[in-house]
Amino acid sequence: MIVKKIFIIIVYTFLAQLLLNGSYAVEPDEILTDQKQETMARDISKNIRCMVCQNQSIDESNAPLAKDLRILIRNKIEEGKTKEEIYKFLTDRYGDFILLKPPFKLSTLALWFLPFIFVLIGILIIYSHNKNFKKNK
Amino acid sequence: MRKQLLKLPFIFFSITLLIFFYLLIVERNPSEVPSALLNKKIQKFEAKSLLKNSKFISSEEFGKKIVLVNFFATWCKPCRDEHDYIKKISDEKNLKIIGINYKDDSGKAIEWLKKLGNPYSNIAIDKKGKIAIDWGVYGIPETFIVNSKGIIKYRHVGPITNKIYKKIRFLIKEIE
Repeated sequence: MIVKKIFIIIVYTFLAQLLLNGSYAVEPDEILTDQKQETMARDISKNIRCMVCQNQSIDESNAPLAKDLRILIRNKIEEGKTKEEIYKFLTDRYGDFILLKPPFKLSTLALWFLPFIFVLIGILIIYSHNKNFKKNK
Repeated sequence: MRKQLLKLPFIFFSITLLIFFYLLIVERNPSEVPSALLNKKIQKFEAKSLLKNSKFISSEEFGKKIVLVNFFATWCKPCRDEHDYIKKISDEKNLKIIGINYKDDSGKAIEWLKKLGNPYSNIAIDKKGKIAIDWGVYGIPETFIVNSKGIIKYRHVGPITNKIYKKIRFLIKEIE
């Protein structure tokens, strides 16, 4: 009986966590009336790092700077700026670090390819190990 | 061949461990982000001045002397801690100190300067934090050194400590 109760609590905690993960920090007064523009603002905000918390996007962060940046992005969208222009404005000031997804550049090649190289090395080691093991058997 | 291959994970693990310990020992602030504006010209801006009746116009303030730009606010405790160092820096010749009063109450800021002393030659009011965003600021206090051509040469995030004060003095002489 107790085990069942604990199991139910765990399931509910897990579900609550899932729901909370989807929450965002945008306040009602920030939301744009034009649905298309608001969707664009949310898309951009999800990819912009909160420079204060550093592990959250500005879409999720309650930090004052995150709010300032959300408002700035919305103002730029209303001015008719494109996604690329807004990203450029932000990276010109805060560097590529402000993007949660690092851009594909010469300086970030290692970041993109090292995981694949490590997996390949791992496969090679396992393969060679198995081959030798079979031989010795 | 097999033995050699098995050494690979061990070597890799040792290197990772060494890098990890090196980064632990070396003095650095892991959350500090290098400024993307270093060696770039400052953005032009206009704002209300806290000290003067006339507007604060950046093109009139920069481009003649070396300028130390300090983002501060009265609600920021580390700003109070570094204030004495900023006053010391203001004794340097051929240097001007500009303050950017970030999201602050102007009345309180004036009182604060009366009480603690005013090292700033002019102060721009940044009520909405727009100037701060243009300078890539993410947490005050932040201090910049701009050379006589209006190019940003140094940025420090956090309060000025004795060590940073010495570094700034050295950099000012070097930039001269």
